[in-house]
Amino acid sequence: MLLTVSEFEPKYQDRVAPPGLTQVPQVQKTEIAFTASDPRSYEPYVRNLANFLRDYSDEQQTENIVFQDCGDTPTEYKERGPYNDAQGQKKVCKFKREWLENCSGLNDPTYGYKDGKPCILVKLNRIIGFKPQAPVNESLPPEIMAKYNPNLIPVHCVAKREEDADKIGTVEYYGMGGYPGFGLQYYPYYGKLLQPRYLQPLVAVQFTNLTYDMEVRVECRAYGQNIIYSDKDRFQGRFDIKFDIKSS
Amino acid sequence: MVKKRSDVYSVEIYGTKDLHKTEIEDEEEKHKDQKGNKKKKKAEDLKKELDLDDHRLSTSELEMKYGTSIDKGLSSARAAEILARDGPNALTPPKATPEIVKFLKQMIGGFSILLWIGAGFSWISFGIQLAQGVDSAFDNLYLGVVLALVVILTGIFAYYQEAKSTNIMASFSKMIPQQALVLRDAEKKELPADQLVVGDIVEIKGGDRIPADIRLIFTQGCKVDNSSLTGESEPQSRSCDFSHENPLETRNIAFYSTTCVEGTATGIVINTGDRTIIGRIASLASGVGNEKTPIAIEIEHFVYLVAGVAISIGVLFFIISVSMRYKILDSIIFLIGIIVANVPEGLLATVTVSLSLTAKRMAKKNCLVKNLEAVETLGSTSIICSDKTGTLTQNRMTVAHLWFDNQIYSADTSEDQTTQPFDQSSPSWTALSKIVTLCNRAEFRPGQENLPIMKRVVVGDASETALLKFSEVILGDVMSIRAQNRKVAEIPFNSTNKFQLSIHETDDPHDKRFLLVMKGAPERILERCSTIMINGKEEPLDSEKAEAFQTAYMELGGMGERVLGFCHLYLPEKEFPESFQFDTDSMNFPTSSLCFVGLLSMIDPPRSTVPDAVSKCRSAGIKVIMVTGDHPITAKAIAKSVGIISATSETVEDIAKRLNIPVERVNRREATAAVVNGMELKDMSSEQLDAILREHAEIVFARTSPQQKLIIVEGCQRQGAVVAVTGDGVNDSPALKKADIGIAMGIAGSDAAKNAADMVLLDDNFASIVTGVEEGRLIFDNLKKTIAYTLTKNIAELCPFLIYIIASIPMPIGTITILFIDLGTDIIPSVALAYEKAESDIMNRRPRNKRRDRLVNQQLAVYSYLQIGIMQSVGAFVTYFTVYAEQGFLPSTLLGVRVNWESNAINDFEDSYGQQWTHYQRMYLQWTGYTAFFVSITIQQVADLIIRKTRRNSIFRQGLFRNKVIWVGIFSQIGIALILTYGLGHVTALNFTPLRFQYWFVAVPFAILIWVYDEIRKLLIRRHPGSWWDKNMYY
Repeated sequence: MLLTVSEFEPKYQDRVAPPGLTQVPQVQKTEIAFTASDPRSYEPYVRNLANFLRDYSDEQQTENIVFQDCGDTPTEYKERGPYNDAQGQKKVCKFKREWLENCSGLNDPTYGYKDGKPCILVKLNRIIGFKPQAPVNESLPPEIMAKYNPNLIPVHCVAKREEDADKIGTVEYYGMGGYPGFGLQYYPYYGKLLQPRYLQPLVAVQFTNLTYDMEVRVECRAYGQNIIYSDKDRFQGRFDIKFDIKSS
Repeated sequence: MVKKRSDVYSVEIYGTKDLHKTEIEDEEEKHKDQKGNKKKKKAEDLKKELDLDDHRLSTSELEMKYGTSIDKGLSSARAAEILARDGPNALTPPKATPEIVKFLKQMIGGFSILLWIGAGFSWISFGIQLAQGVDSAFDNLYLGVVLALVVILTGIFAYYQEAKSTNIMASFSKMIPQQALVLRDAEKKELPADQLVVGDIVEIKGGDRIPADIRLIFTQGCKVDNSSLTGESEPQSRSCDFSHENPLETRNIAFYSTTCVEGTATGIVINTGDRTIIGRIASLASGVGNEKTPIAIEIEHFVYLVAGVAISIGVLFFIISVSMRYKILDSIIFLIGIIVANVPEGLLATVTVSLSLTAKRMAKKNCLVKNLEAVETLGSTSIICSDKTGTLTQNRMTVAHLWFDNQIYSADTSEDQTTQPFDQSSPSWTALSKIVTLCNRAEFRPGQENLPIMKRVVVGDASETALLKFSEVILGDVMSIRAQNRKVAEIPFNSTNKFQLSIHETDDPHDKRFLLVMKGAPERILERCSTIMINGKEEPLDSEKAEAFQTAYMELGGMGERVLGFCHLYLPEKEFPESFQFDTDSMNFPTSSLCFVGLLSMIDPPRSTVPDAVSKCRSAGIKVIMVTGDHPITAKAIAKSVGIISATSETVEDIAKRLNIPVERVNRREATAAVVNGMELKDMSSEQLDAILREHAEIVFARTSPQQKLIIVEGCQRQGAVVAVTGDGVNDSPALKKADIGIAMGIAGSDAAKNAADMVLLDDNFASIVTGVEEGRLIFDNLKKTIAYTLTKNIAELCPFLIYIIASIPMPIGTITILFIDLGTDIIPSVALAYEKAESDIMNRRPRNKRRDRLVNQQLAVYSYLQIGIMQSVGAFVTYFTVYAEQGFLPSTLLGVRVNWESNAINDFEDSYGQQWTHYQRMYLQWTGYTAFFVSITIQQVADLIIRKTRRNSIFRQGLFRNKVIWVGIFSQIGIALILTYGLGHVTALNFTPLRFQYWFVAVPFAILIWVYDEIRKLLIRRHPGSWWDKNMYY
């Protein structure tokens, strides 16, 4: 039976789809706790972010055989033929690191942590062949509607508990062409073998005015018709993260 | 203990001599204990018990001693006082273990301790994890609770099973309260027998059970049946005379629980309740240690084995995991998993069920098993010490032979005779039959006309009953014949005359003569005869004819039969006219010069099923030893007729007689058979007894007292035999207790015997024991199969843990899932194996050697664990890897992933294709893996179940469909798996998920492999008996 398994795509995906939503940095727990004035306290997060973003640097995306410029605004899915290597490896869309602006690490190597304005990166779990569908508009929070694009999977973060709503302050989103979400042209994913250097689209979320010295729980969601949330799996299509920033 | 035992023997064997000795001992004891008053009193009590001298005292001395009056009895007030002092006149039932103790024993016995340890560890790690704030801490709490529940539920189940089988017995011991006729306050009163006190004057009559130990002060033709006490089957006459020093032998004492057969008597109660002779013997029985049953030893051995494996693997992997830098807490959790995987949680319950199923089956065949484990004991029995009367024989005198016209005729002695086939045309028979019919005081109880003759109840002694039934069978309505031949005078049998005589009118109205008929001891009858009837004609009794009589008498007597002679005389009409008044006191009629007609001999014939059963025992390698209180000649005759002594074997005495040499010169080794007299046994050392038991294949112990049974049983046990003993009397109970399996008689047995026994034979039939043996052997074989079946999957449950620890792959099967196999899918199939028929004639092989033929031997363990078990594990792992691979995790990706895989924080875990998994998605996949692993084990267990049907024969010879219950098992197994997978697949706590249909078939090739492999194993075993393969692969 093992011989019948294809090397390009798994036989079944019912256990892995719908996709999970995760964040970077990821150190031990889904929790970010640091003191802005103490670089050592946020060093692991910063390093984690830097490591993760290395593949997104411009110099990593130079080979034109591998990378393809998919534009600066969200567009349609990019189908790349059947899931086998008959045509060799598949191209992948470039993702420009500078789209992440303040959270790109290009200007601020501490990703806002030194100012107590931490960045996190949000990404949708890779699933071969999965094509997320943009949400139908009426169900969306009004903030997202402002930057609506039919080819965008928007991401939005709010306080986990309603009573914390005023504690998370302003939230900045940086993404492709200024859109707070994932462009559809990055999908579908063709797998490790066909797209070894695939770049997941990212959305950077910066919390610029978090309340200090208390635990603030934030929940981020990706919105899409086939992105579903589950009570049992708290990371399916959303995640929550705990911030605990000490003032001194 | 030693001293206690000397009591029994002293009572029975050594007589009064030893009584005195014990008395002196007690005297000494008394002196020693003089300080403590209470103890002193007790010692005195003891002394009083043994110092039974009431039989020597005169009536007035007795009255004084007990403060009673023979005419008035005790006063009610005095009686109440004594009752308060002595307690009721009843045997204290054997001390039962308190229910709660029994229950707790079930809770900690067997594997329970291991599981409790597992539960304890679970709770400890729950506590630690809770303190550390680990999310999954509660899993351990639940696991602990589940383990505890498993222990408690299986404990309750085992307790319930045991209680159920005990209850069957409880119904047995219920007795109708006995009444006694007592003289109190100068009035005769009916009182419940347990209200009797010492000094009461009681009256007894024929048919009563003696309500206490009684010193007789007035008797009239009183006879008692002491068989339950001494084993003597002949009723003993009782009088007021002090006839023997030994209280047991003297005639003026009647003992508690014996029965009065006929006559009446009055006596003073001298001992009540536990202080009676019977009471002391019964309490002695509880002193005899209860041996562990062979199956209990086997199961214990098995539990140690499995527990040993579990603990050593557990500890080994604990060390390994600690040295692999797993956290201690994790290592402890692994340890729990290993224990749970190793312990066959459901097995002990299964064994109990299998045993009780067999017990039920045996009950249908008239073997009622009191103690479940005794079911198997019977199967490993190598010596049966059987009673004669009632067990081997029909327990009723039956006419076996007749001698008339110079010829011996045989009569039918079977249980359900309706005619007699011998030649009845001779006029001598007509005359003989008339004597038999008329010279007989026995009568049928009225109202039994519809019953078969042999089943009717008769009032009268054993030989008269035999004669009555005999004539009723041949002649028809005896009572009307007697009515037509009106009795005019009668002299009943007495021991001085040794004859019985009656005078009748004849049924021929023209014949006005009287007919005198007489029967009695043949030599006495012959003395009174001058003629003998040959073919209806009276011929003078010359020496030649007397010689013929002697020969016939010797021959019949030599067959162990009781012979009676019959003669008659037609009284001349002139001397004895119709109006003649016969006077039996002055004997105004002739009692000599009679005409001898014939002989009839009677025996208690063997049950018709017994010879067959004995020969079955013989081919099954079981030695049958007859132990009887009867006369050696009778015992030997019966032993020969049932095959306990086979036709060709000879005793030392036989050889001596044949070779005409003195007994001492016979080579004892030539004699295969031996008839040992109780008198000889008394003087034997245990070495001599051992020698007899060893050297002779066929042994009869005659004239033995029931106490000597204990010696015989111990002798047999010294030979390493598993001994079954049958008994019915109260003082058989020590032997019944001592035996590996005591078998009490359901009909004839006393309650004490039933209490002491492990099994009750409802029909008192020896043949039922043999069917019991067969069932016992079968269950041993089948338990082997059950255990082999159950142990196999333990490896398939254990390997996942070991590989998980070593290779750090995602957990292949969960602890809870394992419990679902052990206590879910596997239960009914393993019970179904108890229904398997024997592979070959199990009654053709020797009983198992309890030291060598273990229930679980090395071969069984190795074959189940290391061969089939490993195949099963491979099959299950293939399914596991298939499920993971088809979902995106190729086996290579799985190695070493454990820490990240299980991490809660990692929600983008990458699979072989670059896809990313959240923690829950991985867990769900893991549960799918559990389910797949579970399903594979189940599927392979179906094959395992089928191969376990036989150990040697091909399955196809055994028949795939003969045991329907196996199929119930298979369907239940698959059914439960389907329900768990698809029905409860959405209940996350159970860790089952719906499974793609095709995964059910991944393990099928392995199942087939297991079947084929086992068929090849069996084939090679059959082809090459005695080879290396046979020795190592046959379990």
